[in-house]
Amino acid sequence: MEWPILWRSCAVDAAPPMPSETLTLRHVTKRFGGVTAVSDVSFDIPPGRITGLIGPNGAGKSTLVNMIAGVLTLSEGDIRLGSRLLSQAPAFEVARSGIARTFQNIRLLAEASVLDNVLVGFHRLERASLASHLLGLPASWRETRDLRARARDLLNRFGMQRYAEYPAGGLSYGHQRRVEMMRALATQPRLLMLDEPVAGMNDVEAAELGDIFASLARDGMAVLLIEHNVPFVMRLCAEINVLDTGRLIASGPPGTVMRDPAVIAAYLGTG
Amino acid sequence: MLAQQIMNGLVAGAVYALFALGFTLVFGVHRILNLAHGALLMAGAFIGLYAVLAGIPLWFAIILAMVGAGTLSVLIDVLAFRRLRASGQAEFGAIISSIGANLVLVSIAQRISETKVLRFPFATFPVVFYRFWGLRVSLLQLAIAGSVAFLLGLLSWLIFHTSLGRQVRAVAGNPRAAVLLGVNPDAIYLRTFFLSGAMAGLAGVLVGLSFNSVHFMMGEPYLLRAFVVVILGGLGSIAGAVVAGMGLGVLQTLATAYLPSGLTDTIIFSLLFLVLMVRPNGLFGVANTGVGRR
Amino acid sequence: MGLGVYQSLFDVFLLNCGFAFSQFIVLRAGVFSIASAAYAGIGGYATAILVTRYGVSAPVAVAAATALGLIVAGVLSIPLARLRGVYQAIATLAFVEIVVSLGFYAEDLTGGAMGINGIPKLVGTGTLCVALGAVLYLMVAIDRSGLGRAFDTVRQDETVAGSLGISVQRSHAIAFIISGGIGGLFGGLQSLYVYSIEPQQFGFALLVSMLASIVLGGRGTVIGPIIGTAILTALPELARPLAENRPLIHGLLLIVIINYLPHGVADSLALLRRRRRAANAV
Repeated sequence: MEWPILWRSCAVDAAPPMPSETLTLRHVTKRFGGVTAVSDVSFDIPPGRITGLIGPNGAGKSTLVNMIAGVLTLSEGDIRLGSRLLSQAPAFEVARSGIARTFQNIRLLAEASVLDNVLVGFHRLERASLASHLLGLPASWRETRDLRARARDLLNRFGMQRYAEYPAGGLSYGHQRRVEMMRALATQPRLLMLDEPVAGMNDVEAAELGDIFASLARDGMAVLLIEHNVPFVMRLCAEINVLDTGRLIASGPPGTVMRDPAVIAAYLGTG
Repeated sequence: MLAQQIMNGLVAGAVYALFALGFTLVFGVHRILNLAHGALLMAGAFIGLYAVLAGIPLWFAIILAMVGAGTLSVLIDVLAFRRLRASGQAEFGAIISSIGANLVLVSIAQRISETKVLRFPFATFPVVFYRFWGLRVSLLQLAIAGSVAFLLGLLSWLIFHTSLGRQVRAVAGNPRAAVLLGVNPDAIYLRTFFLSGAMAGLAGVLVGLSFNSVHFMMGEPYLLRAFVVVILGGLGSIAGAVVAGMGLGVLQTLATAYLPSGLTDTIIFSLLFLVLMVRPNGLFGVANTGVGRR
Repeated sequence: MGLGVYQSLFDVFLLNCGFAFSQFIVLRAGVFSIASAAYAGIGGYATAILVTRYGVSAPVAVAAATALGLIVAGVLSIPLARLRGVYQAIATLAFVEIVVSLGFYAEDLTGGAMGINGIPKLVGTGTLCVALGAVLYLMVAIDRSGLGRAFDTVRQDETVAGSLGISVQRSHAIAFIISGGIGGLFGGLQSLYVYSIEPQQFGFALLVSMLASIVLGGRGTVIGPIIGTAILTALPELARPLAENRPLIHGLLLIVIINYLPHGVADSLALLRRRRRAANAV
């Protein structure tokens, strides 16, 4: 499979390419009542490479993702995409500015078909007016027809065309994760956040998806990879950030980070 | 005159509070709106009335009404809600299912009463009035105030000072965590539904005695007012329900006395609407109304 | 029974279908609004007053009722789209009660508890068919558009909708307004069909019967409300005991359907068909 080609053919030709921009986190903090879940975290997620975020269970990884995605408020600090401040923006505006995500516990429209699940991902690209939707004007149904074709392209390239009409909830775990990724990619994001995308998959499946992530990054997308699988992260990421009990304890290239005594301590459970 | 109206309002409000407490308790523990709660009030009034007509003394008829309405409430939980709880669609489903339960109970009552308004026999409750500080108080009003105060005390003791209460609060806070702590949620649901039904049943007998009128549609206005009470007081808040219930009783009595007739309902429901717009969590509420970032 | 009986039954079915679609469109978008009865009341009274008191022609009066439904729902949608779940249900229920109580109170305008009588019957089967046809066209257009996809996503998972750039608030507001327009339209048509209206008919009972047809039929497919309404309209005609115990049967149906067939008849069939087709394909 030629992933860079996939990306160009189904993204770039229809919509103008998005300028790549860096997502910056500065002093991001989240308190729930008296508990500080994320404390003073600052790092960048630049385009064109995969940035890793690892840490033991309960380290605050998903809280951080939810703050970036606009689901949780920030107690302190700010988040910017390029120069645009996103700290207060609601989830849908964050998504419209070009940030897509997958969910740690897969969230698909279980009874809708796989094709329909991917189709909703194109929402951000829809241009037909409300009036044309309501009146059933050609602009509306042409758009639906075009997006359907593009959703099929995406399915083909993920090797999922056989399941197009299958209810998404009835698929295997690995296939459901793929549907979620296709849906996120359909939004043509500048930044893609993957929350444990290969959890529960075997090494072959994981490697296959890893190749996809790498090719997306090569094409200029910013990718944030949250994973437990340390070898997987080591192989893919240019930079790794390690969270432990809400604090950023290490940042840097994989080799350096993994030799860091604080990281070793956190992973052995003595920190 | 104003003082008399306020006192009458407080007594009426005590019944609203008693009725709304069960409604808000079920929401607090269960996260479901039980729209059959009004039918439970009606059922309590029916059981009490038919028991009295059968020659049973009033105090025992009241106990029968409470046990009967409590049992019906548990039945509703088992038949109409238990399956939904597992499905994850409980919020919408429970509204629908409880509307169904309400229709069933109301139409059975309509059948039994042949659509007639029923009355307690004369002097079921002694008609005695007392006067002090220029106020006229009936023995019935005193009994209502006394029994509501007693039940509120009992309920807050149950919730805040017993292991049942701790379990109820645990399930209300987080059912899954409560299971891990060894609480059996089904047992808690059963008890909260029984308590809630029993309080509605008592409210039904008290309403029936106060207005000396029992009919199959009597639950609906109380259900609608329960919405006002629980939203004003905050959905799921016990203290809020009590304060808001009394407040609503006074407001309603004053509106009826001093404003053009027919405007009372408009005012009450406009108030409900406005509170939802301005402060959906009510005066005491903590529930998340769920918009935007959390 | 003569043909006329069947025709009037069919007319009632058409009217109820219209009301059901007013309820359907909000539920489809995941809005817990039960305000449709209020829109029907507003449209119904507006039409009756315009026709009986001001001699306005039927089409103009019904158009005004529709516009009024749209406007009222539009104003309501601004605060209500900020609420969720049970809070939306309670707020819209309060709105229904406000409309009913104003119907009783504003006697000079609405005739109070006596209602408005002697409304000319200016609407027949043909008009109702045309109106329902227009609503159906709108529903199918939405169903096949990005708006329908947005509604479906919001209904099933608001977090996912947000993550894809769909504004839950905007979707809810649009659904609210469409619901108001349809409710006002069919409220107006009903006034010109039934000779007289009174406040009580726009209260809790109407709200329950609208909800019942959607729950029975389904909230995900356009055919759902039609199937639900058809069953609920036909059921009492099948046997006398069914007619006598209508509320009891509605109640039992609601409990059984929401527990054992939570997607309703039409949606469950659609799902079954999709599963079967998928099983054949894979």
